Amino acid sequence: MISLRSVTKLYNEGRPNELRALSDVSLEIGRDAVTVFKGPSGSGKTTLLSIVGCMARPTSGRVLVDGRMVSGLPETFLTEERRSTFGFVFQRFNLIRGLTVAENVALPAAPLGPDPRALAARIETRLEALDLADKADTPVEHLSGGEMQRAAIARALINDAPVLIADEPTANLDTDLTHRFLDIVADLRAEGRSVILSSHDPRIWQSDLVDRVVGMADGRLAEVAA
Amino acid sequence: MSGRAPLPRATRRLRLVLALFGAGLAALALEAAHARLSRPAAELRMAASAELVRAAGLTDLALFTEARHSRNPALADLHTAFQDAPMSFGHFPSGSFAPRPAAGFGKGTLGFDADEVRR
Amino acid sequence: MTPGLRRQRALAEYTLAAMARRRGKNIGLVAVYAAVVFFVASAMLFSAALRREAAIVLSEAPELVVQNLLMGRHELMPGAAVETLAGIRGVAGAQGRLWGYFYDRVNGANYTLMVPFDPALIPPAGAAIFGEAIPRTRDHPWLGAPLFLSRHPGDLVRFNAAGQLTAAQGLVSSDLILIGEADFRAFFGLPPEVYTDIAVTIRNPREIDTIVQKAEALLPDARFVTRDEILRTYQKIFSWREGILVALAGASILAFAIFAAEKASGLSADEAREIGILKAIGWDMRDVIAMKLWEGGLVSVGAFLAGTVAAYLHVFAFGAALFAPVLKGWSVIYPDFPLAPEIDGIEMTALFFLTVLPYLAATLVPIWRIASADPDQVMR
Ligand SMILES: Nc1ncnc2c1ncn2[C@@H]1O[C@H](COP(=O)(O)OP(=O)(O)OP(=O)(O)O)[C@@H](O)[C@H]1O
Ligand SMILES: [Mg+2]
Repeated sequence: MISLRSVTKLYNEGRPNELRALSDVSLEIGRDAVTVFKGPSGSGKTTLLSIVGCMARPTSGRVLVDGRMVSGLPETFLTEERRSTFGFVFQRFNLIRGLTVAENVALPAAPLGPDPRALAARIETRLEALDLADKADTPVEHLSGGEMQRAAIARALINDAPVLIADEPTANLDTDLTHRFLDIVADLRAEGRSVILSSHDPRIWQSDLVDRVVGMADGRLAEVAA
Repeated sequence: MSGRAPLPRATRRLRLVLALFGAGLAALALEAAHARLSRPAAELRMAASAELVRAAGLTDLALFTEARHSRNPALADLHTAFQDAPMSFGHFPSGSFAPRPAAGFGKGTLGFDADEVRR
Repeated sequence: MTPGLRRQRALAEYTLAAMARRRGKNIGLVAVYAAVVFFVASAMLFSAALRREAAIVLSEAPELVVQNLLMGRHELMPGAAVETLAGIRGVAGAQGRLWGYFYDRVNGANYTLMVPFDPALIPPAGAAIFGEAIPRTRDHPWLGAPLFLSRHPGDLVRFNAAGQLTAAQGLVSSDLILIGEADFRAFFGLPPEVYTDIAVTIRNPREIDTIVQKAEALLPDARFVTRDEILRTYQKIFSWREGILVALAGASILAFAIFAAEKASGLSADEAREIGILKAIGWDMRDVIAMKLWEGGLVSVGAFLAGTVAAYLHVFAFGAALFAPVLKGWSVIYPDFPLAPEIDGIEMTALFFLTVLPYLAATLVPIWRIASADPDQVMR
């Protein structure tokens, strides 16, 4: 259970170009549910997801993960929170250039001290599920947009985190691949994990898997459907 | 379960690098062992020199033979540069920073000039 | 394998993968750094070996050498002083030393002519025992060929070979010509009953100071050089020469650390972004720092190993070909002997820390700031 209590996020606070990306957002996101944020470009979806995922701090307001206040924690504890709770798919992928797909996917596991063979097997399974196994040893900068997107998804899944946060995960995927992604979401949901998405994609928010669609506009919530 | 699967590339690369480091360390250990093992022979050689030092009554190493003033750094003699400097004995680093003349020394012939022989 | 070790392995694997992206540059970096270490280590090994050699070999030098001074300059020693010194309590014996230099115009070398103490070493009249380098630099056609010395144009003195000192003794004797006293005085035109200086044997080394005090009262103009002072001189000479090399190379190590810090603090936007990404996907500050430690450690420890291993080979297998002129000086007569291999553990440890710590610090310090920031900030 993740709760936001009147979260406001200002960029460039106090400067002339100050920007209010989120204003007074209060929200509860349940466990084992699939939540989708939808809204026009610039409405604050990415900002909201990065606050939920402990990547950024709210300017004011509070964030609680399973009842623990995380918004005031120092950075050291936030890393711990990120590692143990979240897998993150970034809108702009944020793969590390020069490394192969498999090496990128392995990254979140490194601090956990994985067994190399077991990890390799896990990576292969993940890549196969996303139809990317043949690119495992390709440097990520040689991938197409959709391939990068899938590499980023595989990376977010590798630690089997309880919460998957994915920012526009299907923006570069065709229908078939979108369905593969939805299959993965279905599996996660069946395993009792939460999935938090942002999407412009009707194929996502019209899917039966989605428990809740939250609309956003101008940094505020606009509940759409249940 | 995946015991026979090939190791990932990164692991193989790490092993290679660690093996190189191991080889470096082994080489260093080997050199240390070599130093230790060659000690008896070296000590024998040095003992022979020490014996000569005792028997002849020598005081200096025959390292700086390029000039009279540098031959016996431990002793001041008529030719020693800087002798009796407050903190050190005469020692002149003549050859340290200047290269040895390419042409070499001496005339290469023994004794007198040809016309002197005639005289 | 414990989880901690497995974590280190995974971090090291990432480091290597990241370094492999600029393989040429990183190998070059290690190579240049190794060259610096090689330079310092060669200087250290070489002069440590020479210092040890000098200490052992000269430990048999006379306990005390007494020189006569006139107007503050070295003068011949009257023979009467031998008796005076021998009479001091605690002195086991005093013996006049006869030695002098000869410049050989044939090959431009300086020889040291000497009358040895030990009667067994004194050659018969008209003969001499040669140091190893003399027949070599005079191109003697056969072993045992006589040596002709010319003191001035028109002069020629013949010395038959009564023996030759070995190359193993070259460090103390390569330019030595041992002859008898009569030959010595005749060769140099030296009057009888004067000596170059006097060597004093002392029974109890702890009495040296008091003996010197007594001798100073008896021979107020003389200068006293103890064996300890001789040994100290040599330790200083080689330390001084080593010091110059190490100072030069130390400057390059420092320059290297500055370069590394410069490179790391001017962390490219790409590198800062990568650290931000790593943090965003769950690496914490310690992971990032451990990763950077691996990077700095691989470079600097690799350079240390390569540099020292090569330096040992350079000094003890190839006779320190690159540094011998600076460390030993040059001369026509050059003792041709292999150095006794020796690794000074303390010096090597010092060199290790000198190599590794500045480099690690230089790579780590700039990372700290980035690694402790919110990933959101570094990623944009
Ligand atoms: N680091 C930042 N500094 C300044 N302004 C920012 C920053 N990040 C986001 N913004 C601004 O905040 C607003 C919300 O951005 P956000 O990325 O959350 O939108 P979004 O809903 O994800 O849009 P899209 O659908 O296009 O991805 C935008 O106007 C954006 O320009
Ligand atoms: Mg966005």
